[in-house]
Amino acid sequence: MSTVSTVGTTSVPSGTQRPTAAPRRRGKRRLGSWLRGVTITVVCLIVAMPIIWMIAAAFKTNVQVTDPNVGLIFSPTLENFRSAFADGAILGSMLNSLIVGVLSTAISAVLAVPAAWAVGRFSMGRTGSLVLVARIVPAISLLVPWYYLFAQLGLVGSYTVLVLSHMFVAVPLILWIMIGFFEGLPIELEEAARTDGLSAFGSFLRIALPLAAPGTAAAAVLAFIGSWNNFMFALILADEDTMTMPVTLFNFISYASTDWGGLMAAATLMTVPVILAAVFGQRYLVAGLTAGATKG
Amino acid sequence: MPSPTLAETPTVAPERPAARATTRSGRKAIPFEQANRRLKWALLSPALGFVALMIIFPLVFTLNLSLTDAFGAVNANNTYIGLQNFIDALTDTRRFWPAVWRTVYFTVGAVLLQTVLGLALAMLMRKAFRGMEIVRTILMVPLLATPVAIGILWLLILDPTNGIANHLLGFVGIPPQEFLGSVSQSLPTLMLIDVWQWTPMMTILLLAGLSTLPEEPEEAALMDGANAWQRFRYIILPMLRTTLLTALVLRGVDALKTFDIIYATKGPGGGSAFEAETLNVYAYGLTFDYQEYGLASAVLVLFTIFIVAVVVLLRRRTGRTSA
Amino acid sequence: MTMPPIRRRHGAAERSLSRGAGPVAPAKHALTRRSFGALVAATAGAATLSACSPGPRTADPNAPLRIMAINHVWSQAIAEHLPEFEDLVGRRVSMRLLTADQLSNSYNVKLNASATDIDVMMVRALQEQILFTRNGWLADLTDRVEGDAAYDWTDFQEAPRERSVTADKVVSVPIVTERPALYYRKDLLEDFGGAPATLEEMLEISLELADRNNGFFGYVGRGQRSGAVTQWSSFLYSFGGDFTVDGASGIGTPEAIAAYEFYGRLLAETGPPGVTNMSLEQAMPIFAQGKAAFYIDADAIYSNFLDPGISTVIEEVGFAPFPAGPAGSVPHNIPSWSLGINRFSLLQDDAWEFIRWISGPEMVARLQAAGIPGARQSAWDDSATLASFPNDLAESMRINAENGKGTDRPDVIQVGRARDIVGRPLVAGITGAAVPPVAADADAEFADFLIRDNRQREF
Repeated sequence: MSTVSTVGTTSVPSGTQRPTAAPRRRGKRRLGSWLRGVTITVVCLIVAMPIIWMIAAAFKTNVQVTDPNVGLIFSPTLENFRSAFADGAILGSMLNSLIVGVLSTAISAVLAVPAAWAVGRFSMGRTGSLVLVARIVPAISLLVPWYYLFAQLGLVGSYTVLVLSHMFVAVPLILWIMIGFFEGLPIELEEAARTDGLSAFGSFLRIALPLAAPGTAAAAVLAFIGSWNNFMFALILADEDTMTMPVTLFNFISYASTDWGGLMAAATLMTVPVILAAVFGQRYLVAGLTAGATKG
Repeated sequence: MPSPTLAETPTVAPERPAARATTRSGRKAIPFEQANRRLKWALLSPALGFVALMIIFPLVFTLNLSLTDAFGAVNANNTYIGLQNFIDALTDTRRFWPAVWRTVYFTVGAVLLQTVLGLALAMLMRKAFRGMEIVRTILMVPLLATPVAIGILWLLILDPTNGIANHLLGFVGIPPQEFLGSVSQSLPTLMLIDVWQWTPMMTILLLAGLSTLPEEPEEAALMDGANAWQRFRYIILPMLRTTLLTALVLRGVDALKTFDIIYATKGPGGGSAFEAETLNVYAYGLTFDYQEYGLASAVLVLFTIFIVAVVVLLRRRTGRTSA
Repeated sequence: MTMPPIRRRHGAAERSLSRGAGPVAPAKHALTRRSFGALVAATAGAATLSACSPGPRTADPNAPLRIMAINHVWSQAIAEHLPEFEDLVGRRVSMRLLTADQLSNSYNVKLNASATDIDVMMVRALQEQILFTRNGWLADLTDRVEGDAAYDWTDFQEAPRERSVTADKVVSVPIVTERPALYYRKDLLEDFGGAPATLEEMLEISLELADRNNGFFGYVGRGQRSGAVTQWSSFLYSFGGDFTVDGASGIGTPEAIAAYEFYGRLLAETGPPGVTNMSLEQAMPIFAQGKAAFYIDADAIYSNFLDPGISTVIEEVGFAPFPAGPAGSVPHNIPSWSLGINRFSLLQDDAWEFIRWISGPEMVARLQAAGIPGARQSAWDDSATLASFPNDLAESMRINAENGKGTDRPDVIQVGRARDIVGRPLVAGITGAAVPPVAADADAEFADFLIRDNRQREF
């Protein structure tokens, strides 16, 4: 939101400073803003169309899904959702995804937020970027060794191993975002607090942490979504009782046929919480996504 | 998170341009430099330690395997064969080098397109307009949606015979395309899917970058009679460099590693003529279809080195401008 | 937030214990003094998180019997019968359904670590069995199958039974068999006197019926390099060729090239666009949508075309035996899926009890009566089990089984790689490139491959 307001106020006066060219410019500008509106609308349509198509497909029969003549106008059926829910695995795996997502996000935040503050405040950028190595390593090179390791520890199939593997993605992500956030916080407040006798850690706990709460929320939601969407780790490390949603999607793809309707219904069920997160948490998510990047 | 704190964002974020300046100078300020050294390590090491714990075993495991002739199973009676796997990979012109080339082609193509489109869109959305919030919400959706579901979805949409894409093209008189079904169109189609999914991310990043830029230089240029393109090219673009390069690193790494979508739409081996087989897909095939663990590990090591090199190269460029 | 109780967890397998210590050592080495404390803390955290220590090495009496299976009509059908078995054996049964690729990946990752969390494994005797046996992952079932008169091992058809043996040991039991079926449109073929008896005839009719600009195709089939190989095998055999001839590559022979060219032409000139990206999943809906006159694929998928939720050709679809080529009609007749026991399983006796029960004469007859073709001769001899199939399909399955060959892909360890090589000329044919040079190149590559593969086979 901040983005909009700052930019919006700057550009309006800059145009009014040249009154001589006003009439011609105004006409041009009207055309320009009309063009701009059209372009943005088209872009939004292109972006949203596949998702709309997916949701539409969730309400079609399989014959309708694979028939391009059936567009967005058809008599919808709830059969796919009924069969998706009848397959008890879907609800169970949604719950598993929720458990793994919440736990991995919460623990990652506990590890990464203080670390991010340390990196931000003590200018340890280089040390912090070591953690980003985790982003670089291809996931395939982790699967076999991880399974090997966790099998020795007797952890395979447990929530623990899923939480640990998802944390491997979440910790660097939260760290990355929060470094940007802490660097963006004015340091004076903490310095003032320290002059008033707070320890360094105290100033983190009492001053910086509350101020960074919105950033932490954004980072946590993004980490949760990452966990919610993660496919490969669960495929290998989970068992029937701990299986998460993205793997369960494949229940609809069988040897002989694909239940497109059921698949799209399940995918819709998976995507809806994410879309809701985008709708309601949009401003915080944008802030979270961008905090790491603009700070370089 | 309690909602009262959430409501504070608008007050925190606008200060960021100013805050950055104070941080820069403030970082040299005395109190924190004198702060307990132990504290900063105590705070940092749980996160660092966790990542290290999770990554060191796989790294050692993979490096070790890459020096053996492991085939069939990783714990079979393997013999150390030195760098033979690396030599085999680097002299393989049938699969390895084409995969390297495709990885580069895909990444450069997709990321460049995303950057150009993302920047254009960000410039368009720079001025506030009604519906801004709705537009930004829509832009968020592709990058939050499940990649596996997205892959399957696109397969359905782009099916040459039963898909909606060709049906729509038919309305405007464009003959049906094979898309993912064709050897030559596969990689470009995959790039477009990637562009669909990640251009919004670029736009959001660059919009944030644009919002932190000071206004004076642009106003001065306007007074001097610079046209829109000149203001963009000589004022905005140079100032946006840091954000741009960071965004490039972020997207570049992920694009190099693209897997879910290629696998979901092209299957093992990246298609019938290996037309979409990137390094990641190749390493996956070596591991899971061929069980050539030794060679697969060597390819993964080379791939990781390759990504690190790209990141270091890009970050060095960022470093020069920002630090 | 507290950790929900984790129901069960098995200990590490015996033989990997000594190995476990090795790879962890470097991790300790890499720690710095300063971060050591944090590591201890993190490890302690992980330990509390896990809430319980590695389990015992013998099976927990409450542990379920775990079946890893492909999502297949067979698995869906037996799921209903599982409670019967649970009562019988007094143990919970838990079945995990995956796609073929995911199943194979899971085995490769898990069994590499000597996993105990798999008991019964659904495997493809022709795809993974040699490799898994070589790796020592499949338990030897020889004594179990042969030492049980009631089970009647010899009742299994000979071809699938032979395929259950690797390195002189029975390591799997066939449960689903498959042959190609010619699916065709009865309404369109009326003028031509019904289903074609020869491949040549089928090509001519396909060319005549195809109206590709308007989205109607003569023939649809798999065109994806690896996926198409198994269906193409019946063409290869019917043209008089084979994947290997006396242990050497057979894909450069004139017969093989003729089969490549024929299959390529069939799809290139009468098939749908984008066919090189098509495996079963993409090809099937095209026929189901009424957009093709012919489709050859596994007979096990016939029920799709009779399902109103999937098919628009329920009334029009006909089933016929594989058309004859220059060397007659020689389709494959294979055990597509089998059951084996994980050698690291702690519940091998119960796992065998399950296999004995699910693949016993009675259950196979029940399943076949429900439309799932099995491997027992007694079931095939019992006309009641065939009543559920449409008449023409039952007849075509019988004829194909009679003429059939027991394999549909190269008989090697690295089947995945072999299929990639063998499939290359196939793709060349479909894309309209000249087949002979590609076939010659693939032939040379396949010859090298076979030498290497043979060397690996000494186990």
